[in-house]
Amino acid sequence: MRKNMIRRWLNLFRARASSPQFILTVVLLSVLAYLVLVPLYGLAERTLLWHAADTRISRNIEPGTITVFHWKNILSGRISGSFFYKPLLNTLLTGTIAALIAMLLGSILSWLVTRTDLPGRSWLKTLLTLPYIIPAFAIALAWETLFRNPNIGGQPGFFQVVFHVPPPEWLSYGPVPIIATMVIHFFPFALLLVSGALATIDTQLEEGAELLGAGRWTILRKITFPVVAPAIMAAFVLTFGRTIGTFALPYLLGGPIRYYTLSTMLFTSLKMGFEPIAYVLGIILIIITSLVVYGSNRYLGKNLRRFETVGGKGFKGEPTRLGQWRWPVFSLVGMVAFITAIFPLILLTYQTLMLVRGRFDLGNLTLHFWVGTSNPNIAHGEPGVLHNPIILGAIWNSVRLSVLSSVISAILGLVIAYLVVRNHKSITATLLDQISFLPFLFPAIAFGAMYLSIFATRQGPIPALYGTFTLLVVISVVKRLPYAVRTGTSAITQIGLELEEAAEIEGASWYQRIRKVVMPLATSGIVSGMMVTFVGMMRELSLIILLITPQTRVLMTLGLRYTEENQVQLSNALVLLVTLITIFGELIVWWLGKSRLSRLRENQMAGKKG
Amino acid sequence: MGVMIKIKNLTKKYGKVTALDRVNLTIDPNEFLVLLGPSGCGKTTLLRSIAGLEKPDEGEIVIGDQIVFSADDGINVPSGRRRVGMVFQSYALWPHMPVYENVGFGLWLQKVPRKQAREHVDSVLQDLDMAGLGERYPSELSGGQQQRVAVARLLATKPPVFLMDEPLSNLDARLRLDMRSELKRLHYQLGVTTVYVTHDQTEAMTMATRVVVMEGGRIQQIDAPQQIYRKPANIFTAEFVGMPRINTFPAKIHLQNGTSWLEIDDINIPLSWNPGQKEATAAIRPEDILISTRPIENSPEFHVYAVLPSGPEMYVQVRRGHRIIMVRENRQLDLQMDQPVWLKIDPAAVNLYDSQSGLLLTSENKRTA
Repeated sequence: MRKNMIRRWLNLFRARASSPQFILTVVLLSVLAYLVLVPLYGLAERTLLWHAADTRISRNIEPGTITVFHWKNILSGRISGSFFYKPLLNTLLTGTIAALIAMLLGSILSWLVTRTDLPGRSWLKTLLTLPYIIPAFAIALAWETLFRNPNIGGQPGFFQVVFHVPPPEWLSYGPVPIIATMVIHFFPFALLLVSGALATIDTQLEEGAELLGAGRWTILRKITFPVVAPAIMAAFVLTFGRTIGTFALPYLLGGPIRYYTLSTMLFTSLKMGFEPIAYVLGIILIIITSLVVYGSNRYLGKNLRRFETVGGKGFKGEPTRLGQWRWPVFSLVGMVAFITAIFPLILLTYQTLMLVRGRFDLGNLTLHFWVGTSNPNIAHGEPGVLHNPIILGAIWNSVRLSVLSSVISAILGLVIAYLVVRNHKSITATLLDQISFLPFLFPAIAFGAMYLSIFATRQGPIPALYGTFTLLVVISVVKRLPYAVRTGTSAITQIGLELEEAAEIEGASWYQRIRKVVMPLATSGIVSGMMVTFVGMMRELSLIILLITPQTRVLMTLGLRYTEENQVQLSNALVLLVTLITIFGELIVWWLGKSRLSRLRENQMAGKKG
Repeated sequence: MGVMIKIKNLTKKYGKVTALDRVNLTIDPNEFLVLLGPSGCGKTTLLRSIAGLEKPDEGEIVIGDQIVFSADDGINVPSGRRRVGMVFQSYALWPHMPVYENVGFGLWLQKVPRKQAREHVDSVLQDLDMAGLGERYPSELSGGQQQRVAVARLLATKPPVFLMDEPLSNLDARLRLDMRSELKRLHYQLGVTTVYVTHDQTEAMTMATRVVVMEGGRIQQIDAPQQIYRKPANIFTAEFVGMPRINTFPAKIHLQNGTSWLEIDDINIPLSWNPGQKEATAAIRPEDILISTRPIENSPEFHVYAVLPSGPEMYVQVRRGHRIIMVRENRQLDLQMDQPVWLKIDPAAVNLYDSQSGLLLTSENKRTA
């Protein structure tokens, strides 16, 4: 009996350990552990060690020994106010207010463009999602162009040229512009979330109330709102979560008057050489984000699910008639769309065409910054975009980075998704799922700090990767992995298990099944995910800003450098370039999603299992 | 052609749910065995265990002379090496491959030369009336054609065991009827051991050489279709098989003048044997009851509750007090609502079940009082 049991377990183990899926899971698990857990540990460890630079505090310090000094220093030391509590307060303040306004604006607009007879609502909806696609950096630059304040130095902004008085400082820099630009950047996110919920409400719910004699306002208040309320809450929480990690907006619009948030403080302390402070802030950022994600998952997960049965057929009923308000509301919504989506792009474009900054007359227009060659009288001799080797190099790097990271993360995400979906009961697969989700909890700049802390030096057999292009690709792939796994998961779940089993019964090995069945069917599903990553990496700034060296510059970081050097025309040109590429990429994504072929295939794949 | 399949003590648990509970079953070569039961009864798990798509916790499966699964010896032959073919409920046609690639996939895996494989696939398609459709993609075929492609995939490699998981459930009623005869014909021609899963009892009755009724992971009865219908081994099978549902009653049994009498409410039916116990559950099929519009012996008065004509026959529900009885009449009777009627029950067709165990009482297993 005993011998029997041993033989049984031995056989089972042998079958398990030799299965290619198990081996792959274990390999991926160790690679990801190295790329996610080790840097996280490294970052945490460095907050608890004396650094070489700390010897300036006291000569008795021995670098490398353990201390809680940095934590104490930040949480209760002399510098805690300016390095931690104020930035924390600023982060929470700007984030909360911006998320609140974005939620309100997004919800109202989404109701208008999905459930009423507003003229041109589908066009308006597309237009209103544009600010989310435009890099936050671009919105910040546009704001600056409009409200630049001479107190900071430099040339006047558009506001001053028109009104002949400088704008008040609170409108140029600090919390107000940060909140305003955050709202512009994030309200489309709320709009998309809430319209998704609105679109799935079964209008019979509302019609039922109407038959009972309820008025339009009563229906909206008693039926529609409670049903989409969880989505509206989700919009708030998720937007808030995103504002915590934003870097470009507070950096450009708060930096000039030393208004810091946690993420810009992290960046600034690194730049000033206060590494331990930056690392502690990184850990704090990760903790805050994790709390938000955990809380929202717990609370929203429950509440979103509660209304899931409501989904129903998503039957489209009659839209609400706006009556005499139709055209006034249209002009209002149209104006919002113009101000948030189109006007910033016009401003940016106009700025790139100005020979001398701050002179908005037509005689000042030039194409020099696009097509001109080096002229020592203009912009310290920096040639225009098309002739500037640095910019051309950055374009090449941007494209290379985006293509590589989108392809690699898509494939990796698909493989992980496959292993997780098809082995959902195995512990190793579950572990793999969780570890690949972890980067979702790291605000981009904190993740950058993690890699900076670990890969600046040689790690065992792996040489110091800091300054290499490879490191940029690695961090981009890992950071995008949670999204890629999610896209991969939906692609894999759409491939009915029976399709694979049918091949298995015919005698196909795992590799043959992957090659002949899974890969061909999943491709159409992950291509759009790949495009999303491509677009995301094109406009990525905070993730890589700490890891960029002159050789590995990309468009966004170069744009930031030009901004810091006050070469506004060039920085605007670069950001505009990124914007155009991302809009073009989004169009491709949209077109892919719409294509008839992909839908046909999905129908077929979903199977008709009853 | 076909091979024997032996299943010993097969058990499979999903967490706390027992999908298969010590199932023992021997399937003869050339048999058309149907696994019948409500959803969640374990029939699909059993089929998938034979296919090797599911790994049981306990027991043994032997296909032909090969032990393909044995929990004790840690044997689990991958499904590709079990020499079985399967038709899935969704057909599982690969949407990115044209028909001939779908059908020829197994041949490609067996490294059959391309030209030879193509010829073989063409002849299989020809046999199934699908000639000329080889270049089409599955989404360009009708439901019935997709079903045939799934069958063609079996025929291309012709394994000695065919497994079918509700293969006709996605077809419309008419096509389903046609395909039933075709599958039956195919089985007759090839003589391949076929295990067929369905929840549709008509399908089970019409196609099977033997039916296995399952419930709660256990086999309830294994028998020829007629036997399943006429002599259900327990209450579950009696109630599950047959449309409209069988009538069941709590009944008393008493002896009078040397004859056993079955007493259902105030209906008295003479039995030809003595069940040997005082109480039982009586089960009577609706067609074993006749309606009389005039009073007859041993029957109290009933009233017509509902009349449901259905083409060649009619279903009549009659009521007495709170009890409603379903009758299937072949005659076209002119019945009015609430009209008084009397019932004549065929004593030979009444099955008696032990009220506690739910098992069929026969003259062999009766309890000697």
